[in-house]
Amino acid sequence: MGRYVLRRLVQSVPLLLGISVIVFAILKAVPGGPLALYESTPGITDEDIRRLEHSFGLDQPLPVQYVTWLGKFVTGDWGYSLVQHQPVLSLILERLPNTLYLMGTVFVAVLILAIPIGTITAVRQYSLLDHAVTGATFAFLSTPTFWLGLLLIIVFGLDLRWLPLGGMATAGLPFDLGDRIRHLILPATTIALVQLGARVRYLRASMLETIGLDYMRTARAKGLAESAIVIRHALKNAAIPLVTIIALDIPELFIGALVTEQIFGWPGIGRLFWDAATRTDYPILMAVLAVSSALVILGNLIADVAYGYLDPRIRYA
Amino acid sequence: MAGQAVAVAVPPAVERQRGQWRLAFERFRAHRPALAGIAVIALLAFFVVAVPVLSPYDAESPKLLEIFEPPSLAHPMGTDSLGRDLATRILYGGRVSLAVGLLAVAVAITVGTLVGMTAGFYGGWVDTVLMRTVDLVYSIPSLFLLILLGVYFRGLSVAAIILVLGLLRWMTTARLVRAQFLSLKEREFVEAARCVGARDLRIIVRHLLPNSLAPIIVTATLGVAGAIIAESTLSFLGLGIQPPTPSWGNMLMDATQDMEMAPWTAIFPGFFIFVAVVSINFVGDGLRDALDPRHVVRKEQ
Amino acid sequence: MGLLHVRGLAAIVAALTIVGTACGAPSTPSGASGAAASAATPAGGPIKGGTLVMAIWQEPANLMPHYANQTVQSVVLDAIVEGLVKTAANGDYVPVLAKELPTVGNGGVKVSADGKTMDVTYHLRPGIKWSDGQPLTSADVQFTWRTIMDDPKTAVRSGYDQITGIDTPDDLTAVVHYKSVYAAYPTRFGRLLAKHALQGIAPAELSKSDYVRKPLGTGPFMITDFKAGDSFTLVRNPYYREAGKPYLDKVIFKSVPSSAVAIAQLKAGEVQAMWNLLESESADVEKAGVHVVVTPGPSVERIEFNTAENKDGTDPNSKHPVLGDINVRRALIYATPKQQIIDKLLYGKATVGTTVLSTGWAAPKDVTQEGYDPKKANELLDQAGWVKGADGIRSKNGVRASLEITTTTGNKTREQVEQVLVEEWKQIGVELKIQNIPSAVLLSASWAANDPRKKGSLDMWMYASSPDIDPDSIIYERYYSKKIPWSGNNGDGQNYTRVNNAELDKAIEASRSTLDFDKRKAAYDTVCKVLNQEAVIDWLYNRADINGFTKNVQGVGGGNPWRVLTDNIEDWWLSK
Repeated sequence: MGRYVLRRLVQSVPLLLGISVIVFAILKAVPGGPLALYESTPGITDEDIRRLEHSFGLDQPLPVQYVTWLGKFVTGDWGYSLVQHQPVLSLILERLPNTLYLMGTVFVAVLILAIPIGTITAVRQYSLLDHAVTGATFAFLSTPTFWLGLLLIIVFGLDLRWLPLGGMATAGLPFDLGDRIRHLILPATTIALVQLGARVRYLRASMLETIGLDYMRTARAKGLAESAIVIRHALKNAAIPLVTIIALDIPELFIGALVTEQIFGWPGIGRLFWDAATRTDYPILMAVLAVSSALVILGNLIADVAYGYLDPRIRYA
Repeated sequence: MAGQAVAVAVPPAVERQRGQWRLAFERFRAHRPALAGIAVIALLAFFVVAVPVLSPYDAESPKLLEIFEPPSLAHPMGTDSLGRDLATRILYGGRVSLAVGLLAVAVAITVGTLVGMTAGFYGGWVDTVLMRTVDLVYSIPSLFLLILLGVYFRGLSVAAIILVLGLLRWMTTARLVRAQFLSLKEREFVEAARCVGARDLRIIVRHLLPNSLAPIIVTATLGVAGAIIAESTLSFLGLGIQPPTPSWGNMLMDATQDMEMAPWTAIFPGFFIFVAVVSINFVGDGLRDALDPRHVVRKEQ
Repeated sequence: MGLLHVRGLAAIVAALTIVGTACGAPSTPSGASGAAASAATPAGGPIKGGTLVMAIWQEPANLMPHYANQTVQSVVLDAIVEGLVKTAANGDYVPVLAKELPTVGNGGVKVSADGKTMDVTYHLRPGIKWSDGQPLTSADVQFTWRTIMDDPKTAVRSGYDQITGIDTPDDLTAVVHYKSVYAAYPTRFGRLLAKHALQGIAPAELSKSDYVRKPLGTGPFMITDFKAGDSFTLVRNPYYREAGKPYLDKVIFKSVPSSAVAIAQLKAGEVQAMWNLLESESADVEKAGVHVVVTPGPSVERIEFNTAENKDGTDPNSKHPVLGDINVRRALIYATPKQQIIDKLLYGKATVGTTVLSTGWAAPKDVTQEGYDPKKANELLDQAGWVKGADGIRSKNGVRASLEITTTTGNKTREQVEQVLVEEWKQIGVELKIQNIPSAVLLSASWAANDPRKKGSLDMWMYASSPDIDPDSIIYERYYSKKIPWSGNNGDGQNYTRVNNAELDKAIEASRSTLDFDKRKAAYDTVCKVLNQEAVIDWLYNRADINGFTKNVQGVGGGNPWRVLTDNIEDWWLSK
């Protein structure tokens, strides 16, 4: 197992390098650039633009820019935003708690809801409840996140005026838990509903598979009560898909939900990325992409390892 | 996103007999949600195609005297910020959104099949290189990649958007096809074909591809739903289809500015995305049940 | 709270008088704002205290005074940082931290005998302190100049690069030596940097300092919290020079995702003010009882035509196959229904555009542009030999009159205008296709990065731009023939319409070679007139700065087209 993990980790290095090359190439091929912001400055001259280009290192040949970036990045110097001028690392750390707060809430809420719903619908397959839940999960799966967000804003924010329209807290108020929660409800619900659909479907399918397996039939043949079977055997085996979900959700926690953050004005990583993308602020884009890609790879590795640990049928070569 | 990728379960490779497709058809016919989905899509397709005949309004030219009229008999879904009939625009937008979804998946399936086929059939270093590339693209969070490509291709044509969306979703197909090929190519009938002296291309086209068709069809169907959402997300962010060409996504982007004054401009386009996507998902689900015998075993219990 | 500050009242009256003057001045066409502000002021004086939350739907990326390049940065910075001199509503310069505006008349400006160099002497107001209690001295003026020249990330150096040195004979006197006669000298030193806070940092490292987010200033407020993506908190500066001001304890700029959300929050009373309403939104907001303050600004929305062939590295002498014909350009302007656009899409909150300098001392008196007359447009095209084809689109010598228009994506008003023009121009036989790109691409100006305007790869593009109160650099960079970017000059200049006119060149040269206001004014008159004769730019409408306030926000001036709304934030107060 240790060798397997090591091999996977070693393999991920060229993967990450490849990603960074591709992303860098795309970014640099983009017309326009961070200096567009200066256009509206009265009195700016071409000389100013050229000087700024030089001071940001944008006038260097591409491979040089890339190697410079890479060399610094791996030694922990993630560079400075071309627009905000702050260290990229501190800009990310500034947003990270906000994204973790939102996505963590969603993550916990979805798990708490998905496990019982997934189990019940699997056990009571083809019951009325199963049909209703399956239909609902299908509906949420098929809803564009941004539309759901807009609908929630229209109904609960604009019409009923029950909940705030955006942001993390009422400006100017000292910390107030109730206020924080009220701001959290709409964005968290938006993401949670869409995610819940996918999670429930996945859990239900995995449970069904387990229920149909031989040893379950054996258990049934032994005359164990159905509820006991579900709890003792099926749920234990459902731990596998559960762990998979958790592991694959790790990057999600960091990446956040860009569109939802955008709609609700949530100051998270997603908005940081979006703002950077529209301004071609590439040090931020490169860093966020590198970290999130690394997390995706890590999440997959954890999922695979956990899988092997939980399911003795799988052996790693 | 990762979760949704997981939900698209991969059916195992199964060698199919002659009656297999007939059986699958029978099973599909028994899947009521899928049939309903087909009906809705057919209806939508009809309206989308027939809109020039059905609607007296122009989808693009502004009518400045009729801005933001709420839904009425003349305008069943109201008018938008330029006084254009929303229903008409939604149907024209449906042409764009549906076509982009379909074509993007066509790109994805083509690329994915070619890559998966090559990797699975030849194996060795070809396989390694191609599959590492798949891993690579998979490892970049798809929305981030979508935005980056959107930024790169921004302001470009509908064709470029189709390409972007297609390039984001070929990997699943590639993995699927490769897995199918790996398991199929050692089978007797391939061996037999090889003994007779059949060449690579012939083996692939005559024997391997037809046997991989079922999972490709399922992925493709569900992929269309995903691509429609992706297109609308991209357009919603302002990186997709550009006005005045309506698409469901850019109509929603427009609506965000007016959702208080004219909430209908936000409600209806989104509803159509939802209906289209949910219908296609139902069809995809039905197809999976029909084409994946594992489901059959379970149902027969 | 509730106290009546006699001195404060006097200041309010004074502020209103200034606004009143502005309204009377011919340079500011609308007086509605000033009147509305005074009408809303209840009896009794300003009340001290309270927190004002202002929604901003763009966000300052940083607050470094000499990096600022976004309007929203100015909105926040103007409450914090001040300079020596600023521009008043009527376009006059008024002293802020300087005791008076140095002029030739009062001996503050001395031009050398050969007429080639000049010295400007500033006397600082005594007793001014930075918000940390340190005194403001002439060394700060000198340091500001040095930093602007030495910091590689400075946005604009023009003007400062004409300075050879600054002497500080005493703490309150700064003598600025210019190596040329720099007419726009009062526009420099608009924001001072605090030497004592920055002197230990190497210029190249300045961008990494905390000052970038929390600059020091002498203004009414100081920044205590910079939460990117969320909010920017300002509290009263205890050392502010005017006793009893500012009235507000705290100002919070709250970052919101869109103007729609800002409007909803303003209507709901979640915020008391919002920056930058779109013209099209203001009517609806006014109906909801929000106090809308409209300030006509120098910003002009326009469509610029590329007169040269759009190919990489354009030869400035080449001609655009369609737009190279002045008759086509004039016809397009004739077929632009500006008034209808203003009435229907902007709800009357703008005025018809006619020229680049819409307000200020340099604004020409009687420059006009072709008014809406599609019939005339058709005639013009007929005469010029553009013949309508079967599809109704004209062509000449095998060239179809098919053009593309480009603007910034996601700007709804602009997209609406484009769509109106598609219809209108179809009527005169010109096909228009919309091809928008994000502002980061459209407005970018790098030759090396192949930016479209630089390379001349667009037919026409719509955007807004505002000249400084001294229009010298904008006129020179954009309309001088030697400023046409092409491969021959390594892409230098911003003359993107590729207008090339000898009379224009002469007038531009004249405008920048003298300190004589009357001569410069006459030169700018000619510049504007020739630009319109060449018909290279379709001036759509003069934009206004529109901001919204709840009814209890008092003292909002909003009459100064050259400044942002927070210009007089020390006078704002909240009534009960």
